[in-house]
Amino acid sequence: MENLMNNYIEAGSIVLFGIGFMTLLLNNNMIKKIIGLNIMDTAIFLFFIARGFIYGKDAPIVVGEFKGVDGYINPVPTSLMLTGIVVSVSMTAFMLALTIKLHEKYKTIDLREILNMKEG
Amino acid sequence: MSVNSEILSVVSKFIIPFIQVFGIYVIVNGHISPGGGFAGGTIIGASFILYRIVNGSDKAKDKFSYNTLIKAMCFSLIGYGLLKGYSFIGGGLNLHLPSFPIGTPGRIFSGGYLLPLNIFIGCIVAITMYFLYSLFSEGEI
Amino acid sequence: MRKFITVILTSLLIGIILIGVSDLPEFGKSDVPAHNYVSKTYLEDAVKETGALNIITGIILDYRAFDTFVEATVLFTGAIVVLLLLRREGDECE
Repeated sequence: MENLMNNYIEAGSIVLFGIGFMTLLLNNNMIKKIIGLNIMDTAIFLFFIARGFIYGKDAPIVVGEFKGVDGYINPVPTSLMLTGIVVSVSMTAFMLALTIKLHEKYKTIDLREILNMKEG
Repeated sequence: MSVNSEILSVVSKFIIPFIQVFGIYVIVNGHISPGGGFAGGTIIGASFILYRIVNGSDKAKDKFSYNTLIKAMCFSLIGYGLLKGYSFIGGGLNLHLPSFPIGTPGRIFSGGYLLPLNIFIGCIVAITMYFLYSLFSEGEI
Repeated sequence: MRKFITVILTSLLIGIILIGVSDLPEFGKSDVPAHNYVSKTYLEDAVKETGALNIITGIILDYRAFDTFVEATVLFTGAIVVLLLLRREGDECE
């Protein structure tokens, strides 16, 4: 249990993932569901980037002279998450465009009313 | 939709070139200091959006027409693929084809293919940001 | 009723994941299996072989340039998809 207090960044990111998941399930409005999906994406980025940090070492940019292999943090998680951020932006834009088309056809963005209108 | 305000019109005429010069600085120094293609492309895209908000959509359609922007974006994407494909296949088959020299680390024209690739990525990101704003706001480019 | 099941389900899921997170190694230590020979090779050879002072730019545009190419394609596809969905009819096809 005290290991969670030492890794408080990873524990906080999992709790943020849970908050985003509950926002996705509990609301009926489409815009709030899209906000929940975006929160879940950001929590996963925080979890991955926090795994590359080492105490007492610098950021991986060579300023004066090269400090050797043991002077910089791990650069691999940061460069892999750069692609994920761009994919998340693209997904949000696509979902918002679909919401606009839904509103044009059914005149509402409440998911329960759209399902009732479809069956009736 | 355009905003009718004197202060915004005068100030934006003065400040939009500074934003673009800063964006170009962040893109071109992508391999020396933090930044790179994605951050610099977003800054230039924000300057395009500011021009469209202040001056209305008629003047923006004269400067950034649809044909120009879509040709620039397609040329950038195909150019990135050709450049990196030439480099990978030439290196993988041990052919020693001619390429850009590496040079001394610390100058701008160094590092082989890093500078042209950064410029292509910045172009794609800026045009995508401008497209997304103008489609969500009015429905036409 | 629906809200009750939702809260129970979410706390169960988060509880199971937190039990797994509590077994992770400590934050910020340097002799961890995640910092193995892969990152050390990237740090050692990046300045000599690519000529970039920003090691992350050297990684994403030289060693892993295919991932950046696919990401640029995803951005382009997203812009084209929004263009197809939200365009209004009229004399735009000129």
